[in-house]
Amino acid sequence: MSLYANPTKSSPPSPYLPSACRIEEALRPTAKEKFFRLAPHDPHILNYSPGQFFMVGLPGYGEAPISITSGPDEGCIELCIRAVGNVTNAIHRLEKGDTLWVRGPFGRGFDVEGMAGKDLVFVAGGIGIAPMRSLVKAVIKRGGFGRLTLLYGAKGPEEILYGDEFEGWRAKGVDVRITIDRPSPGWKGYVGVVTTLIPPLDIDEGRTLAVVLGPPVLYKFVIWGLRHKGIKDDDMLLSLERRMKCGLGKCGHCQINCVYVCQEGPVFRLSELKGLPEAI
Amino acid sequence: MADKFLKRENLGRLIDSVRNGGARFVAPAIDARQAVYRAISGADEVTWDYILPRNSFKDYLFPQTEVVAEYSIGEGGVEIRGRELSPKDTVVFGSRPCEAASLASLRSVFTWDSVDEFYTAREDKTTVVTVACTNGDEACFCTTVGLSPESVAGSDVMLRETADGDFSVTAITGRGRGFLSAHSAAFEDSGSGSAQKPLFVPEKIEGVDISRIKERLARKEHYDDPVWAGLTRKCIGCGACTFVCPTCHCFDIIDEGTAFEGERRKNWDACQFDSFTLHASGHNPRDAQFKRWRNRFMCKFNFYPNKFNSRGCVGCGRCIRVCPVRLDITEVMEEMSR
Repeated sequence: MSLYANPTKSSPPSPYLPSACRIEEALRPTAKEKFFRLAPHDPHILNYSPGQFFMVGLPGYGEAPISITSGPDEGCIELCIRAVGNVTNAIHRLEKGDTLWVRGPFGRGFDVEGMAGKDLVFVAGGIGIAPMRSLVKAVIKRGGFGRLTLLYGAKGPEEILYGDEFEGWRAKGVDVRITIDRPSPGWKGYVGVVTTLIPPLDIDEGRTLAVVLGPPVLYKFVIWGLRHKGIKDDDMLLSLERRMKCGLGKCGHCQINCVYVCQEGPVFRLSELKGLPEAI
Repeated sequence: MADKFLKRENLGRLIDSVRNGGARFVAPAIDARQAVYRAISGADEVTWDYILPRNSFKDYLFPQTEVVAEYSIGEGGVEIRGRELSPKDTVVFGSRPCEAASLASLRSVFTWDSVDEFYTAREDKTTVVTVACTNGDEACFCTTVGLSPESVAGSDVMLRETADGDFSVTAITGRGRGFLSAHSAAFEDSGSGSAQKPLFVPEKIEGVDISRIKERLARKEHYDDPVWAGLTRKCIGCGACTFVCPTCHCFDIIDEGTAFEGERRKNWDACQFDSFTLHASGHNPRDAQFKRWRNRFMCKFNFYPNKFNSRGCVGCGRCIRVCPVRLDITEVMEEMSR
């Protein structure tokens, strides 16, 4: 039996006290990422929206901010975690039946209701597909949108996440286009960075919202490409990656001028970031 | 009009009265030839010869390190427990008006959205007894940021030194009045009638205009001003300014312990460290020292006043005294007032 099984419930509510989640499923979709489905002991934390995040941790290792990859109202929390640091490498050693500890959900996510009726262009780079999946699932579930297009760029075919779900999304009307950075034997799809998928798009700029999720380096190029298609800064939504420690707007790590990303973000309209140098 | 008088030789009586009531008495004491705030047990430990203790008394409200949870890892699994909050009543004696004014600033951060009880529970149990300044040095600049050696903001009790070395005592808050009556045996109803000692009033720095700085920082064009890189080039990123600053409040959350048990702690952190904003991926959105310095300056003169409607800088001058490369914040204030 793993050491991380069978948590004892913790008592007084403190914003620094995590709540326990049982790992119902642990998969390793790629060499770098691990996928977890969690059943929280405290059902209140299931009330999240796409784009929000949890501080996810293991006692003895610490916590890291991780975005939610499951759709809302699915009765569970799904996380897709890349092993990059101390905490995430420790989390990668967990398996089904073990316990993960989370605080949250934190931040401002996507306003799916407010987006209804629009054409949506989702642009995801790398692990940006993880939070994007939460939004795509919410959008499909709600319905009542115009054209839906997902552009997803991965480094190579072996790094593609959720490859087995895209057919299902296509069946629900999402035009899924995937590209890999460099040619690879057996790959018949697009090759090139994700920005190369933008120019061929047929966009009705008046009724389109673009959602961009990916590493910081991706943003300026994708924004440039989308602006060229006539999309206004007000109609571009993106999520900022920051180092975070408390999630409560206190510790200062994610602060950019007058904005705490953990509270007022991580989802922003591009127009909101214009007066905020250092944001992207 | 003073409510009471305190004879200097009766400080011991006050300390005993506070400590007998179960509270902690914090006052300036000499440690390694410097005045620092310390928990005191007798009057002989207290120093009167200081301008401002080197550390801020935020140490007693927002400690350098603090346990927020405890965990144990055993064969039965992991257990994590919250920390029961029962802070001790604390009297901070000998504070200065500048840093007493910082309490409202810290409180604004720790309560603006969610309430961080690790701070508020301590502040609610703290009585601040401030002594108006009768001496100072060239680093003091409270008058430049709109405070003065007799500002009462944040203080519960104000003391003014008289020419014969005793103090006239005024209660500022309800808590202060309670303090005076709880320890009435230490105070006199009337003084010797000697005049008050003159206050040390730092000269207002010519050419610094706080509202002009705020205005300038509100426009993002200042980011590209070569002044930032030029003026702050000598910063070595040691973070000392943030640790002595009474309004700096950034912290890290870290697990410290063995393989079997440990503590989750809030530890002071500083926006002056290059790892402060470093992502696990290696990306760093604030990737140069001058940008980190700029961030701290903006936090003081834009972020605090605009977001929390509170004061980011109280003009205590600690950051100037402690800086190993003599980077003087008032020089930057002057430049940013242009």
